[in-house]
Formats: sequence, structure tokens, C-alpha cells
Amino acid sequence: MSRTFKTVSRRSFLAAMGSLAAAPVFSRSTLAESLLNREAADGVPLFASAFRKADGAFGIGIVDDLGQILAQISLPGRGHGIAVAPDGSRFVAFARRPGTFAVVVRPFEDSRPELITSQPGRHFYGHGCFSADGRLLYAVENDFRAARGVIGIYDMSGGETRRIGEFETNGIGPHDILLSPDRLTLVVANGGIETRPDTGREKLNLDTMAPSVVFIDSRSGDLLAQHALDKDLHQLSLRHMALDAQGRVWVGGQFEGSLDEVPPLVGVFSRDGAPQLTAIPDPVASGLRNYIGSVTANAGGDVIAASAPRGGQTLFWNSATCAYLGARTVPDGCGVAPIDQGSFLISDGNGALSLVADPAAPAEILARPPGIAWDNHLFTLGL
Amino acid sequence: MRFWVLAAFAVFSAVPASAADFNPPIARMISNYIQPAMAEFATTADRLPDAVTSVCSDASPSAVAGFRTAYADTLAAFSRIHFLRLGPLLEDDRLSRLAFLPDPRGIAQRQIRKIYAKKDAGVGAAESLRDKSVAVQGLTALQLIAFDKESEVVLGRADADRDFTCAYALAIARNVAAIADDVAADWEDKDGFQSVLLSGGPQNDRYRSSQEAMESVFNALVTGLIIVRDQDLLPALGASEAKARPNRFPFSRSANSIQYLSGELHGLQDAVTSLELEDMTPSDFHWIFAALDFEFGNAQKLLSELEPPLRQTFGQGESYSQVTVLAITLQSIRDTMALELAGALGLAGGFNSLDGD
Repeated sequence: MSRTFKTVSRRSFLAAMGSLAAAPVFSRSTLAESLLNREAADGVPLFASAFRKADGAFGIGIVDDLGQILAQISLPGRGHGIAVAPDGSRFVAFARRPGTFAVVVRPFEDSRPELITSQPGRHFYGHGCFSADGRLLYAVENDFRAARGVIGIYDMSGGETRRIGEFETNGIGPHDILLSPDRLTLVVANGGIETRPDTGREKLNLDTMAPSVVFIDSRSGDLLAQHALDKDLHQLSLRHMALDAQGRVWVGGQFEGSLDEVPPLVGVFSRDGAPQLTAIPDPVASGLRNYIGSVTANAGGDVIAASAPRGGQTLFWNSATCAYLGARTVPDGCGVAPIDQGSFLISDGNGALSLVADPAAPAEILARPPGIAWDNHLFTLGL
Repeated sequence: MRFWVLAAFAVFSAVPASAADFNPPIARMISNYIQPAMAEFATTADRLPDAVTSVCSDASPSAVAGFRTAYADTLAAFSRIHFLRLGPLLEDDRLSRLAFLPDPRGIAQRQIRKIYAKKDAGVGAAESLRDKSVAVQGLTALQLIAFDKESEVVLGRADADRDFTCAYALAIARNVAAIADDVAADWEDKDGFQSVLLSGGPQNDRYRSSQEAMESVFNALVTGLIIVRDQDLLPALGASEAKARPNRFPFSRSANSIQYLSGELHGLQDAVTSLELEDMTPSDFHWIFAALDFEFGNAQKLLSELEPPLRQTFGQGESYSQVTVLAITLQSIRDTMALELAGALGLAGGFNSLDGD
């Protein structure tokens, strides 16, 4: 089996995606003309996000850097995170917790998406990542009978995806997962919240929850390091992560304690150092309702963005100095992806895709596809 | 910010205990606002093809004025319905085909240039136009080909592209009229979308309760307020007065910005009013309705003090600060709706702000 990645032009990409489109908007959508007619179609960055449509249907939308929807892929239920293969040849869209499906999309091949179902006794938590060579997929899962977080390991090298094993995450409720720059270490945010399929999304252990960020050897599953916050912050569920230019992990949390408190929500973790919490100045902090939705680095890794949809704000930090840079208002904004050299594309529940090129200037709304509510996370397809 | 914190608190302290029946307000909004507004849009849009034909057969001052009026009337009616992003307006990409907004990077302009470069005959008939990009089919595209940058009507003028432009403009006018008719008819259809919206409950796949149906209606109104402020005003205001971009006001090219903004806000206010929510709202929160009327009134007053056409006059006198105050007023209206009124009625807010992950 050849492992060579074929360079495929945008035109064949779009032609192939046409077969995946859930709705016949493709022929008439601006994609067909906006991208095919663009002067340099092959250089256009693409993004993907889960959505809910006004008619209640769920799917994944692929958009260009002008916010135009190029293709839609139906999902059997509400989606959440997307793992993108390092060469961009495939991506895997996960069900929102406690969903049991994931969908593998190979946009360069004229094939139907492949549906993966979590194995008995497990459900997905909504996020995953690929190994550096693209051969393996790591998915965070719940061994719900044992209330134990696991990383399901899937072989993606064949025609069909196969689950070949699992590692412990050494915590409850693992949420985001990423591969560190050494290409060998997996970083997992154990959110700490116990849920069970029979009680849906009900949080069962808020009094005793113990979130952590763990560093795991991807070859052996060995726990290399585990970091927790001070005891008084044990209700800060550590959930979403991004890597900065120095390889440190920025983690955004959701505080499960009283709304009267205004705890720190974003911390910086590394394998061998103590976690460092960042400060969010008032009055911004008190308006966030203790909830961070996404954490993302810009292309250079020198600026970190963290969205706070309940506060309608997206916050920015200088990653080198940990200096807070400011916040921009994006109502119900949650998905954040890097775009261009130093900018961010932000998706929101009211359908808008907004560009923040400068933390000091207002977000620019690029598009607002009618009837689309963008869901939680936006990913660069890295093509 | 203190206001904001208090408002957020209100959301959590005022949730009614029992499930309310939201079907009556939704039904009132359908019959007292949506149906008449859609009918008005269809009526005005139906006059557009004749106005195009007239100015294209003889671009006399009266025909030019007639086209300008027909276009402005259609736009005014459109400004009152575009925020109804539910059901009929979403089917078949109708809303994007009626007007491609926002378009800060000029996608429509670029595509139209290409259409002209290759003299694409497909835009010369409504039937083939509907298979083109949504960006080149509607009122935004018509504005680009029928008006110049100085807001003069160029449709029907004797130049090399006259016949091509006239055929294209007529196709757009017929396309818009046909979509407007379809949307109006669909909202009248008792077995159509309104039956879905009014039958929220366990048996309804889309709306599991009348509250869910109400939340989708309410969210459309809040999104409409976000559009007016964040999408229609802020890009024109820019980062500072020196960086103001008056041509970013919606429909500034045809000199319709003030009328369009005013229509959006009148429409949103009338739509909220048509719900008649007072009886469902705890008496502690009845001040909200007077506050909304007051703020909407302030917004209209600010708009009425601006000198049309905005593309040419913006920046003169107090106009920049007036629009700045207008943006603040709209933020306040949005907060009153999305935080206070939604909270008082126990309605859930934004998609991502809900039960999160």
C-alpha cells in the first residue's frame, strides 16, 4: 500500500466533495463560483465545523477563507470536534458527548464518508487527534461502567478503520486531546466530570471532581506527567487546549462552582513545569460566566485566542509573555481557527464567520449563511 | 458592564416554574406581522420587472424615477422580512438568492465582472439565472448593475452593455418577484411551515415544545438586531472616524441605507410587538416593553436626523457620532431582548451558550 500523498487540485477536491454534499446547494452555492473562479484556487485555506441547521439537521460544513460554505456532510447526530490528518487527506468528525459515532471523510477520494461506532461500553467525548504519520487516530472515550477515561486507538492505514487498542487517560471525562510537537507525546485534558449514558449529560461528581492535564507516551500509553490545579480550583473543568510556539499547552476551563466566584479560566501547562494561570482583567472576567469554549493558537503560535460564548467575547494573549491582549465581542462566538499569518476566524451560533485580524479592531463579519448555527469548534483543514 | 452583570443575573433568577404555552404569541406574530410583511414584500417585488422593462425601453426621467422607486420600495419591504430566518426564507437558498449579505470582500462584484467579461447569456433569463451563484441573483446584484458609485441609475443608459444589462436586470427582477411570491405563499399555507412552528410538542421532530418554537423565533429577532448593529453599522463606522467607510452601509450604492436600516428596526420592533408578550411576562419585568419602545424610538430618531444619501454625506456634521450612539442604542436593545426579556420568559439563549462542552 502506497503511503504517498497525492497532490490533488482544488477542482478535483470540490468535484469529490460534491458527492458528499448533504443538500443541493453546491451547484448554486458561491463555492462553485467563488472558489473555482478564484484566481488562485489551489492556495485557498479551508475550514470545517459542525453545525445545526434551522430544520434541526446536523452536519459538517466546509468553508473557505471568505466564509462561504463549499460543501456539507450530513451527520447522524450533533457533532463536536474534528481530527484532521497531518497531510490533510482525511478528517474525522466526532459526535458530541455522549455520542457513539464518528465519521471519516476522505475528501480527495470519491468515496462516501465512513461511519465508525464506538465499541460496546464506550462512547466518544467529542475530540481526537492523529499520530504524526497519520496512520493512527486517538479518540477520547468514556469507559462508563468504570468511570474511567480512555484513549481509543484506531488504525487508519487500511481501507477501513479498525480499533486496535486503548490507553488510560488517568482521569475522568477526558475532553480535548492533542499531539505535542515532539510527535510522540499525547496531551489530554481530563475534564474531571463524570457522566453516564443512562443519565445523559447530567454531571454526577461535581463535589469530588479532579480535572488534570496529562502527558502520555503514545507508544506505550505510559503516564509521563500529570498536572492538577490547586484544590480550591478543583471545579475548574480543564477541557480545551492549544499549543503555542514554545510547545506549551494553553488550556481553557469551565468552572462548575458558584457563579458568584470569578476564578481564572485559562492556564499554561508544560510537561515538566508547574501550571501557570493567566489573569483576565475585570470587568471582562466577570462577564464570561466562567466558561471558555475553545482555545486556539494563531499560525505562528505567538497569539492565543480563547472564546467565551456565554460572555459573547473572544480573548487574546501574547503566548510568549502571557500578557493579556484584549477581547473582541462576537455574540455566541465559540469556534476559533487560525487564518492568514496572525488572524483568527471565529464561528458563532448565529451563523456568522468573523475575522479578527487585530485584537484592537472590531471583528469583521465575512459571511452569515442563513439557517446555520455553527457548533463549538472550527478547524483548519491544513491543506 | 454593571448593567451587563445585573442583566445576566436576571436571566438566572427569573425562570418561570411552569411550562408556558407559547403557541398563542407565535400565532399572533404569524398573522399580524409575518404574513402581512411577506405579502407587502411580494407586492412590491412584483412591480420590479415592469419598472426594469420601462427604464430599459426608454430611460426617461420618469422611467428612471419609477425604477428607483420600485427598487427602493422592494428593498424597504425586504428590510422588514430578511431577519425571519425560519422555514420558507431558508428553503432553496431563497434568502441568499434575494440578497447576498454580508459581502465585505466583494464576491458578488467579482463574479459579476466575470459574467460581463464572458457575456454569460445564462444571466439573461430568470430560469437560467437561478442556477448561477446565489451572489449574482438578487437585490444586491441588481444594485451593482443598475446603479453607479455615485448612486445614479445607469440601467437603460445607452452604452455598449445596455441590452445585456437590461436582460440581466429583468431576470433578477423576475427571480426576486418569483421568490417573494413563493415565500409569501408558503407562509400563508396552513399545512406548511406554520403548522410545524405551531405544533411544538413530543410528536414534532423539529420543535419538542412550544417553548423551543418560541426560542427559534426569538433567536431570529435577536440575530436580526445583531445584524443591524454588527453587520450593517460597525463596518461603516470602522475603527475610528478617520477610518469610516460609508460605502459599507447596506445598500448605500443605491442611496437606500437610511431607509433600509429604518425598515429593519421598524420590522424588528413590529415583530416583537406582534407577539404581545406582556401577559406572559412576570409583572416585575413589564418595564421591558416600555424600555424597548423607548429605545427603538431613539434609534429611529437618530436615523431620521441623518442626511441621505449616507454614502455621500456620512462624516459631515454630527453624523459619525450619531451613528456611534445608534450602535450603542442597538446594543442596549439587544441586551434588553436577549438577556432581560428572554430571561423573564425563561427562554434559552444562543446555541453555543447553552449546555456547553
